[in-house]
Amino acid sequence: MLTARLTFILRRILQAIPILLAIMIINFLLLKLAPGDAADVLAGEAGSATPEYMAELRERFGLDQPVAVQLVKYLGRVAVLDFGFSFRHEMPVTELVLDRLGPTLILMVTTITIAVGVGSLLGVLAAVGLNTWRDSFISVLALVSYATPLFWVGLMLILLFSVRLGWFPTSGMETISAFHTGWDRVWDIAHHLVLPALTLSLFYLALYTRLMRASMLEQQGMDYVTTARAKGLTDRWITFRHVLRNALLPVVTMAGVQVSSLIGGSVIVETVFGWPGLGQLAFESLFARDLNLLMGIFFLSAVLVLVVNLVVDILYTMLDPRIELS
Amino acid sequence: MILKRRTFGALAAAAAMSSMLVAGAGHAQQSGGTMVMVTVPEPPNLANYLSTSGPIGQVSTKVYEGLINLGWDFEIQPSLAKSWEVSEDGLSITFNLQEGVTFHNGTPFTSADVQYSIMEVLREIHPRNAATMRPITAVETPDPMTAIFRLSEPAPYLMVALNAYESPIVSKALFEGTDPRDNPSANAPVGTGPFTFVEWEKGQYVRLDKNENYWREGQPYLDRIVVRFIADASTRTAAMEAGELHYAAFGAIPNIDVPRLAAMDEIDMSTKGYEYFAPMTQLQFNTTRAPFDNPDVRRALATAMDRQFVIDNIWYGFGKAATGPISSNFAAAGIYTDDVPSYAADDRIATANAMLDEAGVPRGADGIRFKITHDMTPYGEEWRRFGEYTKQVLAELGIEADLRYEDVGTWLKRVYTDYDYDLSSNWLFGLPDPVLGVHRQYHSNQIRQGTVFVNGTQWSSPETDALMDQATTETDPEARAVQYAEFQQRVVEASPIIFMQELEFVTVYSTKLQNAITGPMGVYNSFADMWLEQ
Repeated sequence: MLTARLTFILRRILQAIPILLAIMIINFLLLKLAPGDAADVLAGEAGSATPEYMAELRERFGLDQPVAVQLVKYLGRVAVLDFGFSFRHEMPVTELVLDRLGPTLILMVTTITIAVGVGSLLGVLAAVGLNTWRDSFISVLALVSYATPLFWVGLMLILLFSVRLGWFPTSGMETISAFHTGWDRVWDIAHHLVLPALTLSLFYLALYTRLMRASMLEQQGMDYVTTARAKGLTDRWITFRHVLRNALLPVVTMAGVQVSSLIGGSVIVETVFGWPGLGQLAFESLFARDLNLLMGIFFLSAVLVLVVNLVVDILYTMLDPRIELS
Repeated sequence: MILKRRTFGALAAAAAMSSMLVAGAGHAQQSGGTMVMVTVPEPPNLANYLSTSGPIGQVSTKVYEGLINLGWDFEIQPSLAKSWEVSEDGLSITFNLQEGVTFHNGTPFTSADVQYSIMEVLREIHPRNAATMRPITAVETPDPMTAIFRLSEPAPYLMVALNAYESPIVSKALFEGTDPRDNPSANAPVGTGPFTFVEWEKGQYVRLDKNENYWREGQPYLDRIVVRFIADASTRTAAMEAGELHYAAFGAIPNIDVPRLAAMDEIDMSTKGYEYFAPMTQLQFNTTRAPFDNPDVRRALATAMDRQFVIDNIWYGFGKAATGPISSNFAAAGIYTDDVPSYAADDRIATANAMLDEAGVPRGADGIRFKITHDMTPYGEEWRRFGEYTKQVLAELGIEADLRYEDVGTWLKRVYTDYDYDLSSNWLFGLPDPVLGVHRQYHSNQIRQGTVFVNGTQWSSPETDALMDQATTETDPEARAVQYAEFQQRVVEASPIIFMQELEFVTVYSTKLQNAITGPMGVYNSFADMWLEQ
């Protein structure tokens, strides 16, 4: 069993390489389709520039070479894990991306935990009390939080909890003029995390609530439930021991897909709350035509998606032993 | 000490001139405190010797200093140079440098740093100074405290450009032997200024601490400056409202929120401190394309646009109607004139329609004279509203305009590389001398494909070229005023650009903050004299 799992993982890693390569090539070419380049944008921000300066910038960025040459050179460097230099930030891409990975993960993990946890719970509650006030209340809540634009929810939370009540800071990840260390810092970051994590989870939570509810209802109609009931098991036991476990499968699938989209999907929340995550960095670099940096972020997201997919596949086998790794 | 008194003298004068500083004048300065400002967007790096990008300058001017400072009305004040002398023929400038100045890493500041910064860094790699400093042939250093600039021709516009934002003095020891473009100080600046760079958490903040060895005795007053980066405008407003920020300049707080915030007891606002930039909004024609190759058509459009309407309704009342290519900021220097052809009319639309009929672009059977695409400057909502207004005005003239809004890179390429546009809105900095900010839009030698914010209309005339060439080296202010007056008249006459308004930016700041705005460079000042009421 263990060796089977290992071979499976190894094989998936090998399969990932051509996928990654394809992703990188397609992304590179897509980015090249965008008009204007990093030199245009840099000079545009500067307000003026001499043609010599522009030509020099392009030469320095390697933009004066044919696209094919740029691509081959880039892939050659990525093969040895050199993601190059962001000329805009005057910093190595790896450093920039890793700096932002921490805050991104903090926000992402908190959000997905709240969303999946609370969402599933609400879904179960709704399904168990089908067509009661509880079900209607949860369903309406889910609908409203799903349909409300993220930025608006964020701003309203800021207005209420930061400006009016003063309970939470408006933005940022830390109280920057204080420069806390140790546990004070952890507490400070958690304090800053509340509003952005709440905003982002509200949206995803709705999704999981709906999904879990539908999935529970579907499972409740299955033959094995009838069998279990015939066996004389209590409703509670059936719900939590049999139905819940089966109903979780689609939720896990969904979570797998969303973990990856959260990296980019949190741009709005990162922007509204000034959270220093990867989404905002990617967004800025797109407009700045900072190719090296964008490609670095794409690479990281691609790797993340592949890893999460692998984890989800393994999770399946744990939830449902009938599913085999092959 | 003498210098210190002089500095305070200048400050007092500034305070008298600008009423908003009156509150601060009576109190004694208090030391200490952390000042939190917000800068939008986050700068890509802090190398203002490499880029003139605004956000970079807002942060790095606290760390680097220039040879001079600018006071109100562009009065040139000492900074790293304590005095200077321009030779009779205008071909050499001798600077006596401030003694006892050290860089933040401990190396002493000498004339060698000036020589290196000017000749090897600014003149070589700075996007604007490559042109501004072109006449400097050498910087001589007869002794450590004297630097002599040798010029190939007189350059009356040079002195104002030697400020900290435009021409920061870097440490030769740190740069020598490296490529200045790849120097690590791009992300960790080392200068002589009142604040030292401590750390930069990308995406969050830059922390600058008080320079304990600063050469101006007793300054700076603040213990620390934290520059925050918040991408969302509404969040910035909320943070200001919640008292988390002390200072927000250059439109960081959107105009729509300014009146509400300014009405609060703890918050003040001002439109001063942007004179250095003299930003002006424009509608620029592609003068190589019919029908805008016809000056009569351009003049008709210039007549139709209601400048005051745009200021009042799109820019929330912040701004001043423009008359021509040179900002009215230069009135004090004598090189601005409003004696130019006026396109005012009682009934703008009727007058413009009559002008278009005469210009030979009659309405067709469907009432339409011609169709164009109008490109909008991709800098935010106001520009979209401005584009929509323009479309309406054009429709009343029988011109059908499609609106196009692209991202910055695409738009710049369209206007300055491909010249693939009919009419585009735009805004440019006038900068503290027309040679620096204005010539680039009109001179024939500034029609440079692929270079942004130069002559994108491709309009020029031998007469205006000659006037600009004369004014570039003219050291007599009166003669220069005459040259620029004629220049303004001729440009407005030809109307390659519709001059809309002198854009006003707003600085919003905490009332606890004293000496918040002390000169025409506003947020680009060093903040050495800024203090917080405790």
